[in-house]
Amino acid sequence: MRIIATGTCVSLEESGQVFTLLEKPALPDYSNITKRPYFSVYYSEGETVWERLSCSMAKFAELCRDDPYLGCYALLLHRLYPLLLSDNRAKNLAAYGAGTDCMAYRVIQDFMTFLHTGSALTALALSPFSFTAVSPGSCSALLYRLDTCPAPAAVCDAINKVKPGGLFLLYTIKETVSEELVCLCTKAKKDSFGPCTLYTLTVDEAVMDFARENGSEAFVLARASEITRRAEDLGGLIQAMLAGTALPDDAWFIAVTILQQTEELLLSLYDYLENDELPVFANALKEAVLNYHTGINRQSDLTSYQKDLAETAEIFFTAVETEF
Amino acid sequence: MRKYKMCMIPAYPLENVQLLKDRVLLPYVCYRLFGESFSIVTQSTGDYPYLSCLEGTDLIPLPEDRPHMEAAVSYVSAHSQDIDLLFLFGARGEYMELARTYKSLRPDGVIYLKLDTNIDWANAYPLHDKNFSVFLEDCDIISCETRRLQSFLYKKWLRPVEYIPNGVWYPLYPEAGDVQLADKENMILTVGRLGTAQKNSMMLLYAYALAFPSLKEPWELVMAGSVTPEFQAEYDRFCKEFPPLAPHIHLTGHISDKQTLYQYYKRARIFALTSRAEGSPNVFSEAAIFGCTVITTGVDAAPDMTDNGRVGRISPDPEDVKGFSKELLSLCQDTGYLARNFHEIRSYMRAYFDYERLAGRLRSLVGLQALKRRTS
Repeated sequence: MRIIATGTCVSLEESGQVFTLLEKPALPDYSNITKRPYFSVYYSEGETVWERLSCSMAKFAELCRDDPYLGCYALLLHRLYPLLLSDNRAKNLAAYGAGTDCMAYRVIQDFMTFLHTGSALTALALSPFSFTAVSPGSCSALLYRLDTCPAPAAVCDAINKVKPGGLFLLYTIKETVSEELVCLCTKAKKDSFGPCTLYTLTVDEAVMDFARENGSEAFVLARASEITRRAEDLGGLIQAMLAGTALPDDAWFIAVTILQQTEELLLSLYDYLENDELPVFANALKEAVLNYHTGINRQSDLTSYQKDLAETAEIFFTAVETEF
Repeated sequence: MRKYKMCMIPAYPLENVQLLKDRVLLPYVCYRLFGESFSIVTQSTGDYPYLSCLEGTDLIPLPEDRPHMEAAVSYVSAHSQDIDLLFLFGARGEYMELARTYKSLRPDGVIYLKLDTNIDWANAYPLHDKNFSVFLEDCDIISCETRRLQSFLYKKWLRPVEYIPNGVWYPLYPEAGDVQLADKENMILTVGRLGTAQKNSMMLLYAYALAFPSLKEPWELVMAGSVTPEFQAEYDRFCKEFPPLAPHIHLTGHISDKQTLYQYYKRARIFALTSRAEGSPNVFSEAAIFGCTVITTGVDAAPDMTDNGRVGRISPDPEDVKGFSKELLSLCQDTGYLARNFHEIRSYMRAYFDYERLAGRLRSLVGLQALKRRTS
């Protein structure tokens, strides 16, 4: 894939196919616009916006020529261009998925600084925790490399950082997106060339609703409610076991199955748990139930198993109550 | 209840002595409880006289014209249909290809990995290696030998890790059932490779020396096991330095006859473990079923071995000779506790370290795996 910049047009070219990214505007009618950098700089002496843009595209081609995402970077700048030139306010952009030393991000930053010295593109480190450092609704645009972190919850968390009306730019070199994100991508403008695809979403009410419903906060709340529901089911069963109530044979197996599921749910929330021993407590309770049941089957003295079951149940349920 | 075709493959060629250790015993007891067949697949290291204790076990020798694990992978490729439950021992890189091969051929099969690890090993697993992560995913059930490690591994691996300690298979120890409180003598016993850095044997000598003047009754110290030349020299020097103690300290040398070793367990009131690092030592379980009260340093298994100090004593710091000596002295003086604990520790072992019981739990866990697959 190549980037071709002529005096009037910037395009992507591969195997004879051409994708026009930007065309130099004809002399604009600026009768009602006087202050925008697009025009003031455009007609000033020295480098024009167009020249700088062409230069940025050339830098992509030079610095990222072996990068499979080269086409994505060009598409990104193509979609960012109108936003960056839309008014004279400094823009706060964030980018996730290509690491902090991505050369393409530096090129975009350079172009943004050229337009407005106060604008910034912050490349976030490759950790889901990076998003916690960004205030919700604070970014004019967020660039997200889907292939690095395709989890829908992470995508939605990233969307939540974009201002209403801002842009969320999702790029990938994979052919398909996950089923959960298809619905989101249908709301987007799709630019595709060669292996590179860019989905550009304007963050409106519908997108924000989707992000809220599928973000990690909603995920955590849903999981937490599943855990408490399971804990309630278990509570009754364990009480019956401890009271020596006659239980159907499969009651033990059901209890253990619920505990195994609870353990897995807790592990899926592990990053958010205040008490990081909770999954181990669930495992210990599972073990105690199995020991007690084995004790009954082997007609052993149940005293120590019963004591264990009571103690581990107490520890587990107290911890669940405190946590959720 | 479903019966499984079971197979154990060691990461390295199996030795005879290992047949009666956790790596084979736990799978074997599982076989007795819910197995259709049980095979051990390994390159031979010589004769296997202990195999006679494991009735029904099929030892399948691997060809020796190529490396052990390469031969094991070929075996699994050809015989995956004969294996419903594959037992692996140790999270070793050698197993990665084997586990992948088995899972690709038998996605319905179950791999149980017994970790055989300690905290130092657990910290050194190459979690950054994608192949290693895949290997862990291929293992349906993973267990470690101590609760402390279990808690640690949950945090590191974010996956369920079961606690299955190194236990005992009682039929191997008929003498343990006959032991009486009256058989016990004022004997402190330790068993292991004396003089290795891990076993920290000198500490026991010095702790005993510190306690000795305050002992109201005479206590003998018996140190059983092979002796390094360095330790032998230290021991000789120690005896010259403390002549009154010398007659009370006995080095038995390596004991190959189990019955002889069991006689020591039978007589000892106290079993001392001074290791610097240890996962879950087999000697602990052996000593405990003979009613020895355990005093140990803070090895990973210390809280489990002593039920958090209820049926034994923990002196946490393996370099704190004074601390260990103080605990040892207090234990030697507390005859009432030692007498009560003779029964307590044996009940505790029966309840939580009996392989038949542990295998019962493993059977449920294997059953849960099958259910999980059906529902997913």
